[in-house]
Amino acid sequence: MKILIVNNMAPFVWGGAEELAVHLQRNLIAAGHESEVLRIPFQWEPASRIPSQMMMVRAFELVNVDRVIALKFPAYLIRHHHKTLWLLHQFRQAYDLYDVGKSNLPRGPEGDELRRLIRNADNESFQESKKIFCNSEVTKARLEKYNGFNAQILLPPINDPELFSGGEPGDYIFAGGRVNSMKRQHLLIEALPYADRAVKLLIAGPPDDQADATRLQEVVERLDLADRVKLDLRFLPRETYARYVNGAAAVAYLPFDEDSLGYVAMEAATAGKALISTTDSGGVLGLVRNFETGFVASPDAPALAQSMSSIFRDVERTRGYGEAARQLWRHFAISWPRTIETLLQ
Amino acid sequence: MLEAEGHQVELVYLPQVDSPELLFQHMAAYRWVDLSSADRVICFRPPAHFITHPHKILWFIHHVRVFYDLWDSEYRGFPDDLKHQGIRDSLVAADNAAIGEARHIFTNSNVVAARLKHFNGVDSEVLYPPIFAPERFHCRQFNDEVVYICRMEHHKRQHLLIQAMRHTQTPVRLRLSGSGGEAYAKYLRKLIKEGGLGHRIVLEDRWISEAEKVDRLADCLGAAYLPLDEDSYGYPSLEASHAGKPVLTTTDSGGVLELVEDGINGFVVEPDPIAIGGALDRLYLDRARATEMGQASLARLQDLNISWKHVLQRLLA
Repeated sequence: MKILIVNNMAPFVWGGAEELAVHLQRNLIAAGHESEVLRIPFQWEPASRIPSQMMMVRAFELVNVDRVIALKFPAYLIRHHHKTLWLLHQFRQAYDLYDVGKSNLPRGPEGDELRRLIRNADNESFQESKKIFCNSEVTKARLEKYNGFNAQILLPPINDPELFSGGEPGDYIFAGGRVNSMKRQHLLIEALPYADRAVKLLIAGPPDDQADATRLQEVVERLDLADRVKLDLRFLPRETYARYVNGAAAVAYLPFDEDSLGYVAMEAATAGKALISTTDSGGVLGLVRNFETGFVASPDAPALAQSMSSIFRDVERTRGYGEAARQLWRHFAISWPRTIETLLQ
Repeated sequence: MLEAEGHQVELVYLPQVDSPELLFQHMAAYRWVDLSSADRVICFRPPAHFITHPHKILWFIHHVRVFYDLWDSEYRGFPDDLKHQGIRDSLVAADNAAIGEARHIFTNSNVVAARLKHFNGVDSEVLYPPIFAPERFHCRQFNDEVVYICRMEHHKRQHLLIQAMRHTQTPVRLRLSGSGGEAYAKYLRKLIKEGGLGHRIVLEDRWISEAEKVDRLADCLGAAYLPLDEDSYGYPSLEASHAGKPVLTTTDSGGVLELVEDGINGFVVEPDPIAIGGALDRLYLDRARATEMGQASLARLQDLNISWKHVLQRLLA
């Protein structure tokens, strides 16, 4: 089949959704299909230009395409007789983020009109789709709450599981992935003074911007922790990243209210590492279970320090948590071949 | 190439259709594309030129041709009636407006530049598109074989070369390489068999790797490229030039004639088998001349300023 993956494009920005689209394409091709990724430019600022960009997507005609798999708003507005949604994002600023006052849509009649427009267009697209999958419980619940549509959960697989073969636990806790204030790597550093001297920390990944990098460097300096914290703040080659994971004593991932399990947690579980997360980390807690696959602490320094110390106090227990994390992840049975099969069913 | 110069570059490919009924719908869609996060936008194929941007640069490679130069041709595919004339006139008006917004207008050939002038009254600068990594190509020797490395399609006229081989007086050989339509390849094979030319013609109807292409061009006697009325000089003739080989083409090959000058860097002959056969013989008989013309092919690239350096300089001027 000729399968077109339709995604948004924010020019000069590359992130998880882009990676997912590329790997979906690669795996569709491996399954014997023809596949291309169509990246449709979308700019959500200024909000007044959102409607015309919705019209743009709606106006495109697709020929020579048997199926469409669409991932994001407004890309999924595209018209096609056989459209499957794998919903990574609605336009959250028109939904839950608006409700909590974190939206770029103006308050008042103009914003209400925009939200109505977006909701109606969304509903129409959801209606005309053959099937809707969501990438997490959170996305699914949001879709039900705001649009009244039911979806099936389809968690995105890891793209290169073979890299995360595990290894002997080293002397550090690893915190990987994008570095920013929502991912809260700074909490880990701030917890260190409360933790045992034996606890060391390796934080590695691309900072969203220079301020995010500087913030971490300043905390390390202020608390005089240079001998216990290593920062490797850059876009890491996958091999380097995997080496950090495989050699860790445990992996900490404590984003604020994440939608999904999170690649960081999935990769750590694949490598059989014990996990540390926080009570408000959202979807991540699907993998991090307190005293089962690791520790779930409240997001404050003393509690986190307690969890971090525990990793090194009872190494056998930690090893057991790591193995349990691996088993739990295996239990989900998420792989690309199965994902493709589900998407095309 | 832009990235090598330290710029950030994104490619935007969007759906495009040619049907008259959808023309304006798609035009509107392109009008709504928001690329304001880019400093500059370079537009190639229609309807990309409808994108709005404060610094829009066109490298215009063709119109929606059925409404322009192919209106009076078999390719039109719809009647010459009031409705379609109306669509055509609206398209031209819209094109004029969109083209007018651009900061710079480049074309890929004199042919397209002339069309822009004729139909839209617009002046443009010809900016010849170079090939990827031209330094790969080189000359090793001049053997007995003329190569035609190109997609096998009727309008590329590989058949004309096979017919020409029947009229050659020398043992010159021919190699046709490239993927294409099954039916056409079958027809070519039949022609070779009928002409009893199997021992002098190699037909490779498959995709040719870049490394193979480089090798073939390094060793050949010359390269042929004789499409019917192409807009631009075409990559096959450009690749041959980078390999320092003479190019054989025909008087009705369009843009190729912007590159190839008869007797200088190749031969330009009438599109008939006898004339082409004569040119094949001449390449075979006079190696010194073939070598000289190959040198001239390289020099011609310099004269026309076909290089990435020039392209970047002009595009970002």
